[in-house]
Amino acid sequence: MNAIETHDLTWYYHTLCAVDHLSLSVNNEIFGLLGPNGSGKTTTVLMLTTLLHPTEGTATVCGYDIVREGENVRRQLSYVPQEMAVDIKMTGRENVLFFAHLYGVPRAKDKTDEVLAIMELTDRADDLIRTYSGGMRRRLELAQALVHDPAVLFLDEPTIGLDVAARKKIWEHIGALRKSGMTIFVTTHYMDEANLYCDRVGIVSKGRIVALGQPSDLKSELMTDVITAKVSGPVSIPTHEGILLVGQAGDEITFTAENGKEALPYLAQALAANGAIVHSLSLREPTLDDVFLHAVGNQDEPRNFDDHQFRTMLRRRK
Amino acid sequence: MSSIWYYMERDMIKWLRGRVAVISLLIMPAAWLIFVGLALPVTFTGNYLDFITPGILVMTMLASAMAGGTLLIFDKILGFLNKFLALPSPRESILFGKILFITIRGVIQSTIILVVATLIGATILAPAQYGMIYLILVLFGLVISGLATTVALYVEDHDSYAAFNTLITMPLFFTSSALMPYSVMPPWLRAIASVNPLSFAIDAIRSVELGVVPFLQMGILAILCVVVLAVCMQVFRKMTV
Repeated sequence: MNAIETHDLTWYYHTLCAVDHLSLSVNNEIFGLLGPNGSGKTTTVLMLTTLLHPTEGTATVCGYDIVREGENVRRQLSYVPQEMAVDIKMTGRENVLFFAHLYGVPRAKDKTDEVLAIMELTDRADDLIRTYSGGMRRRLELAQALVHDPAVLFLDEPTIGLDVAARKKIWEHIGALRKSGMTIFVTTHYMDEANLYCDRVGIVSKGRIVALGQPSDLKSELMTDVITAKVSGPVSIPTHEGILLVGQAGDEITFTAENGKEALPYLAQALAANGAIVHSLSLREPTLDDVFLHAVGNQDEPRNFDDHQFRTMLRRRK
Repeated sequence: MSSIWYYMERDMIKWLRGRVAVISLLIMPAAWLIFVGLALPVTFTGNYLDFITPGILVMTMLASAMAGGTLLIFDKILGFLNKFLALPSPRESILFGKILFITIRGVIQSTIILVVATLIGATILAPAQYGMIYLILVLFGLVISGLATTVALYVEDHDSYAAFNTLITMPLFFTSSALMPYSVMPPWLRAIASVNPLSFAIDAIRSVELGVVPFLQMGILAILCVVVLAVCMQVFRKMTV
């Protein structure tokens, strides 16, 4: 039995399809759901944590149906939403103990001390949250989430708004939890972080999974080298065996090539053929960003999707 | 059931640590008692303080309960509600925890009013009478906090709620029997005041002061209380699918 199993999971807001027939299996891993803002990541998490009912399709968490067995599902999971919601007028210990009580954890006080120690907050446990940094607040939320030993942990943008050091620390903690056997479902729009820390990623665009697999596999599927050209003027896209167009964003055109070094002079010549000016050409290994671009297509394509409206709509939670 | 207590405890800790909020909530009713109860030149009663105290008790409960709706709005806006809804404990306990906290806070304020009123000259009552006054206030507090939290579930932001609060509180207070007896009201006001739910609670407390047990008003309040809480729970279940 997989920790998370979804089958054609779909959610409509009026006529807008936020999540479109999503089918996934996640088990015993750090799974990253990647995609731009408004691509349906949060909606997916809200459904899996039983905060929204799917319009179509089904999903199970630890074998329990998210619609019919909501309470059992909630017993198995912890959810840390994107907004940092910790009570600033309470101390770290009080915040965690509150959750321990709500979860009905036996020996709540000892368990609270234990998770505060895991999250390296013991020294500051009796200080008001008001005095905590962003990274510490996030770690405190993780401590709240861990207090009942969940089987599955849902983290919605866990590193958003944190500095580099705090992000690294959060991911190290997530990695340690994964080693202890927890299944972790993360959403993020930071491709580089997903690349470094996720066992497997699914890239979503407009509610659909467009690429799924280990970051290294996804990158190697893009062949070996990525060439980015900065061009202005009338551009003609060259066609040549072994060179593939990935996408265009502004004046930047991205290609993949089987042999990058040989493709460079050819591209320089071909791009300039129509009178365009080639400002620079760079050659590098592919990243998840390229995987994303390749899967989603042209990133500049206007998405008529009002992100603000979408967030308000989520809050309304109809 | 225990989760209701923990939700209540959280709000209580947060409230008690906001010093300005606590102080203002204590000073407001005292100001009413002193400036209205002692200063107004009235002729229809010998001890206006005894007359006005029930009105101020009920008004304070009303204001406190209506203000309580904000708590749920902020939990909703700041992401707490989603966190709580993802917990395995019964979801309705979030709601009942709020209602319980709001009512307890109102009772604390009412106690201060009763103490201040006695200090500045209100008649001292028998323990059973105080007990009955508290019972009436709790029933009334449950009704209003139930209404306030239900509205808070629907309202999107804090500003709209504040507007709703003003819209309800002031007219409800001035059209009740809080400030004057029915006998000196103009007929149109008498008609409104006699169906105003605030008047039920105020009249009930006045009957208690006179040594009469107000079964009718208490019965009405109790029925209202059950109905409002049932509706409130249904709405909450519907909103949090």
